[in-house]
Amino acid sequence: MAQTLTAKRLDETLVELEPKRPGFGGGEPPPGLPQTPIGNNVWLAVLVFLGAEAMFFAGLMGAYIVFRVGAAVWPPPFQPRLPVGVTGVNTIFLLASAVTIRVALRSARRGDGTQLVRWLGLTALLGAIFLAVQGYEWIELIQFGLTVSSSVYGALFYTLIGFHALHVFGALIWLMVVFALARRGHYAKNRYVGVQTCSMYWTFVVALWPALYGLVYLY
Amino acid sequence: MLKRNTLLTSLLAGLAAALAPALACACAVCLTGDGDPTANAFNWSVLFLMATPYAVVGSIAGWLVYSYRRAAAKRDQDHATESALHLALSEKESGR
Repeated sequence: MAQTLTAKRLDETLVELEPKRPGFGGGEPPPGLPQTPIGNNVWLAVLVFLGAEAMFFAGLMGAYIVFRVGAAVWPPPFQPRLPVGVTGVNTIFLLASAVTIRVALRSARRGDGTQLVRWLGLTALLGAIFLAVQGYEWIELIQFGLTVSSSVYGALFYTLIGFHALHVFGALIWLMVVFALARRGHYAKNRYVGVQTCSMYWTFVVALWPALYGLVYLY
Repeated sequence: MLKRNTLLTSLLAGLAAALAPALACACAVCLTGDGDPTANAFNWSVLFLMATPYAVVGSIAGWLVYSYRRAAAKRDQDHATESALHLALSEKESGR
């Protein structure tokens, strides 16, 4: 009898040490807590990768700053002058490509396959024009005597601008793959993470260029 | 109260360091290289490289917070729309 009474008392007098919070121990989650992830895992991975790329370019730019600020005369004497005007026009092509890829992404979100293919193609064309003009200017500079081994100025120029061009080339390859997949109808309204991540990377390399242009060509 | 006092003390300490150059330039390398173009160049480079991680991590974190809030707002909107739709379609509630 005493044991039953004790057991019953224990059942009845359960003391809640903590008040039950919604979402912890059952019930609806707190308001504002999204049920679905805020972004795709690939999107997050590309975001972190872009952070690493930004630090890579920051290191190169830091090295350039050391030589540029420490030099009494810049550019050093007897070095060819950089094509500021032509590269300025080339910059416009690259900036325009950032606009076109954003439009392509919006088309992907809408599920408009035709517009997506069109705007991706235009972005690739603008990127290719940028690389072609850069390549032509480099050939001119090499003929004028500015090479990687000619001076610190040449080494810095080709390292910094060269790595950026390499990134643009890589982004262009990625864009061509996305373009080919888009032509085959691979992307849909709820399946466009490939376009989204490609757009992120392309926007990054485009956004990087004005900083490099200002630092290397104008400063 | 304690947190506000700590924050205020930290801000005042930082301000004192900024306003007192001798105190701020306690680093022997920075102080002895004053006026030297190479030291000046390194200083600027170090400042740039120090600021970049904050900018990068801050941008990523800011974008994640913005995406989270946008997703939460969309979820709330969808939930509200769904609730209203349920009421409209319910025969009992609509009076049909």
